[in-house]
Amino acid sequence: MENAGFPNLKPQVLPRSTVSRKRWWDIGAKYTFLMPTVILILALSIFPLIFSLILAFMSWDLSRLQGGIRFIGLQNFVTLFSDTRFWNTARVTVFFVLGSVGLQYILGFGLAILLNQEIRFRRFFRVAFLMPMMLTPAAVGYVGRMLFNESMGPINDIIKHLGGPVVPWLSNPKLALPSLILLDTWEWVPFMTIVLLAGLQSLPPEVLECARVDGAGDWTIFRHIIFPMLAPVSITAILIRALEAFKLFDIVMVMTGGGPGTATETVTMYAYIVGMKNGNLGYASAIAYSLLVMVILFSTLFLNSLRSRAGMAEG
Amino acid sequence: MYLSLRQTKKIKLIITHILLVIWAIVCLFPIYWVLITSFKLPIAVFQGPKYFPWIDFTPTLDAWKFLLTGPTSAAVYRSWSNSAILATTSAVIAVLIGGMAGYGLARFRYFWPGLKWHNKDIAFWIISQRMLPPVVIILPYMIMYRILGLIDTHFGMILAYTIFSLPFAVWILRDFFEGLPVEIEESALIDGASRFQAFRSIVLPISTPGFIATFLFCLVFTWNDYLFALMLTFSKASTLPMFIAGEGTQSYGPQWWYLSALSLLSIAPMILITLLVERYITRGLVVGAIK
Repeated sequence: MENAGFPNLKPQVLPRSTVSRKRWWDIGAKYTFLMPTVILILALSIFPLIFSLILAFMSWDLSRLQGGIRFIGLQNFVTLFSDTRFWNTARVTVFFVLGSVGLQYILGFGLAILLNQEIRFRRFFRVAFLMPMMLTPAAVGYVGRMLFNESMGPINDIIKHLGGPVVPWLSNPKLALPSLILLDTWEWVPFMTIVLLAGLQSLPPEVLECARVDGAGDWTIFRHIIFPMLAPVSITAILIRALEAFKLFDIVMVMTGGGPGTATETVTMYAYIVGMKNGNLGYASAIAYSLLVMVILFSTLFLNSLRSRAGMAEG
Repeated sequence: MYLSLRQTKKIKLIITHILLVIWAIVCLFPIYWVLITSFKLPIAVFQGPKYFPWIDFTPTLDAWKFLLTGPTSAAVYRSWSNSAILATTSAVIAVLIGGMAGYGLARFRYFWPGLKWHNKDIAFWIISQRMLPPVVIILPYMIMYRILGLIDTHFGMILAYTIFSLPFAVWILRDFFEGLPVEIEESALIDGASRFQAFRSIVLPISTPGFIATFLFCLVFTWNDYLFALMLTFSKASTLPMFIAGEGTQSYGPQWWYLSALSLLSIAPMILITLLVERYITRGLVVGAIK
């Protein structure tokens, strides 16, 4: 990739002598540059976060905003623990994250390898491959609903022409989530492809050349050189996508509305329903916070398991 | 049969191209499908899938006429212009404020004694705000906005979208500034310019590509957002994704031809951006993910 916009240089800090010449100005400037962002984040991101945590221990009915707030301790979390609908949304969300991110990683890696060769129409492929992730998810969810439609959608039509059965993509509770995973995969494979392609392009060509001269086959090169060398990039890409996937909301809302039944209801959706529609803000906050805990737990487990595996490989 | 090295290479390359073309079709077919559906009559939709205009069905402009002149057209125009106003304004603000923070983080040494945080930790703290599930902060927003009277206002939405884009803007621009050679600024400082003068007259002009890339990113995020709009607006400031979702879940069932045209209104600007500045977007993504 061209380096024009983002040359890969080390951070540079002005030499001390220059800084001290304008010490007063600099101390002022130094904080003026950073402070607006810090203040905005404290006020509009950290404060709501704490607010939400407090809410999780409250009972608050939206219909009576001027009162009706009560501290109820852990009651919301106790309710949450025995709420089967919540556990179902947690299961759906985790299944969705694992399925879609896994699929995206495999496909993205494959496509990155293909794109990293001397191909023609490079620009066309890059633009075409990037396109899905730029599109408005609400519209994408709707497009998915159209494509997966049993009788009028092109997917079933193509399956029929190939001699397959009519697949009840969105009306069968067992198939609705996989359909959603497919749609999300369609939309987000581009992210994996681009990031992994950049990773591939940053590999030193000498190493691959050496391996080839030594007679290593394509699979060996991939398995023992490319894949391990791309591990850091892979981990970041998977983590970013997983964090995003946990937030799943818009395409589900439009494509299945959480249905059939609650087969595709995600945690975010449930918090939305409880908070907005039923007006139970305290309980909705507890649900939202449990999602945050899930996300943190997942990232920690994911990174730790990789670290211990790396440790075992060394030892 | 023994193939020479050149022949194997050629065969591999052909297979590569076949696979790439297949995936390109997968990527583009849904977009093609929305496009042709928007030119279909209801009958052409309900008779089962029709793929080629003029061959399997006669294209009409009915859906587009209804969309742009029908009873819902006022709402369509309003949500489209709301989307455009909110996305561009918040992206501009996020890029300016985030650009300052990014510059600060690239050029000064900060240290927060209480937390023992250096530049790297501060930058990570900022980007970590973007990793949170937004539903955690959206409920308090709803309450605060109700109390402050910011619900369903442009100002409130711009504020929410700015904070939504800001971490990303800081992250990309910090990396961008770190890559700029520091010597030009130094010489300006030695010549007696203040930090802000140096930032404005030297750094800003040469950073245009970085700013454009970041602006586009923020623009795409906010243009595509649904959750914030759903929670914080209902009519005056509501956006296009909200309108699409609302129409798509109507009880009388989705009118596909109309909804396709509507979706295209939302998708088309993004397609245009992708076609024009694919490079910037790719670069921004890579920076956001790898650094």
